[in-house]
Amino acid sequence: MKNWFRQHWLAFKRTLGGMLRQPLTSLLNLLVIAVAAAFPLALWLVISSLSGVAGRMPVESQITVFLRSSATEGEIKALRELDGKDARIARHRFVSRDEALKEMQQSTGMGDLLAGLPDNPLPDAIIFTAKSNQAETLETLQKELAVKAGVDEAQLDSAWARRLERLLALGRAVFDAIAVLLALALVLITGNTIRMQILTRQDEIEVSKLIGASDAFIRRPFIHFAIAQGLGGGLLACGIVALALWRLNPAVRELATAYGQQFALTTPGLVSIALVCAATTLLCLFGAWLAVWQHLRKLL
Amino acid sequence: MIQFQQVSKRYPGGFDALKNLSFEIQTGELLFLAGHSGAGKSTILKLIAGIERPTGGAVLVNGQNVGSMRRSSIPFIRRNIGLIFQDHKILFDRSVYDNVRLPLDILGFDGQEARRRVLAALDKVGLSGKEKLNPVTLSGGEQQRLCIARAVVHRPAILLADEPTANLDRDYANDILELFRSFHQVGVTLVISAHDESLMADYGRRILRLKNGQFTA
Ligand SMILES: Nc1ncnc2c1ncn2[C@@H]1O[C@H](COP(=O)(O)OP(=O)(O)OP(=O)(O)O)[C@@H](O)[C@H]1O
Ligand SMILES: [Mg+2]
Repeated sequence: MKNWFRQHWLAFKRTLGGMLRQPLTSLLNLLVIAVAAAFPLALWLVISSLSGVAGRMPVESQITVFLRSSATEGEIKALRELDGKDARIARHRFVSRDEALKEMQQSTGMGDLLAGLPDNPLPDAIIFTAKSNQAETLETLQKELAVKAGVDEAQLDSAWARRLERLLALGRAVFDAIAVLLALALVLITGNTIRMQILTRQDEIEVSKLIGASDAFIRRPFIHFAIAQGLGGGLLACGIVALALWRLNPAVRELATAYGQQFALTTPGLVSIALVCAATTLLCLFGAWLAVWQHLRKLL
Repeated sequence: MIQFQQVSKRYPGGFDALKNLSFEIQTGELLFLAGHSGAGKSTILKLIAGIERPTGGAVLVNGQNVGSMRRSSIPFIRRNIGLIFQDHKILFDRSVYDNVRLPLDILGFDGQEARRRVLAALDKVGLSGKEKLNPVTLSGGEQQRLCIARAVVHRPAILLADEPTANLDRDYANDILELFRSFHQVGVTLVISAHDESLMADYGRRILRLKNGQFTA
């Protein structure tokens, strides 16, 4: 047992020595693996961050009714009395176009832009809050409100939450596909790298086999190489993604604020780093194992 | 120790290199294999080491059938054998020392003991002081000695030498055969092939003469 560890340790030192002797090649290999792993990792982080937002979105259902500029006092009055008459509506809030402009100037920081406009482009609006939050009820209500006199447009405010939900589902499907493809790519990349190494060490392998080396002995240095590459590549991938998010997040935060949201993309935590490294290492191992097996099965 | 039972070997392509051979080699014996080029000498040695598989019959080494052995068991047979290849198979990407060390790495010897054994083997074949050289710088005879050192460094019970005296002048060839005799004296079973029978005659040992894959009288 002690002997087994010693042999592994010796072979591992030799592998690291070999990698350090060709720093450029090793670094390029690591980068290829890192980039391949960084893609799905980044996508996954974006998806999980957005899922967080979707979960925090108000489930309370509001319908914003924008009024025509030509709407008469009577039409507006009729609409504002709806919550007394329609059992589905809990309450309403009237937002005049001046209030809307003020709110927008404050919350979005687009004050300068809006102040530069000759006219207030915003319409008057009434925000109805429904008692139910069932999608179907809300949609019928929205359609009914949309055709009432004086109404220009009725918007279901939870619509974009649902759109985000659908977008996320699409994102997850894309993630699955990318993950499978890039996993395959990692196996092939490592397999090919190892194949090249085997070719340059063909004589050594042949002689070693002839004088009694087991397949495990031949495989050992390549397995070590694959582990080093997988671990290094995985860590580098996390580094790349963390760096990218760190550069990106201020902009994302600003954008989210503009929409009245508190939001930033989550950077890779310990668990995701461990998962990424485990995945890259296993895939590289598999690639190396395949390449060695492919070569050894031809030798007796 | 080594038994051939009606062994045939047909190479892919249909050439019959060995035809129904039976013989036995005793433990501690020194046996010569003689025969023209293409007679099948190398083939016999390869069958013993499990480098080729027979297409008929059985090859037994220490009672184990090497010919039908699982691929994964063959390394353990080979570790008991020292092989001197006809084409040397020296690795020119490393020093003389590292070439001789290879079998010990495979067996998992640790640093001190391995070093002691490598230096002892090099001393035995007369290559002391050349351990740091690259084998390219060695003469043909010295390369042959390097092969012998690599074959005996892990002290195998069987030594198979394929044409170890080829391309050497007579005196040098005799030196090499003396070396083999010293291994024989410490109990190693030796099989040595050569196409030049005159060298063997001096040693008065059993000689198997091959012709086109069969024994001649
Ligand atoms: N791998 C192979 N594939 C096909 N034929 C082979 C192979 N190896 C050997 N042979 C053939 O088998 C015959 C015996 O070969 P072997 O190498 O045993 O001869 P040998 O007695 O060692 O000759 P030499 O003195 O030239 O080394 C030869 O005719 C050779 O062409
Ligand atoms: Mg031969």
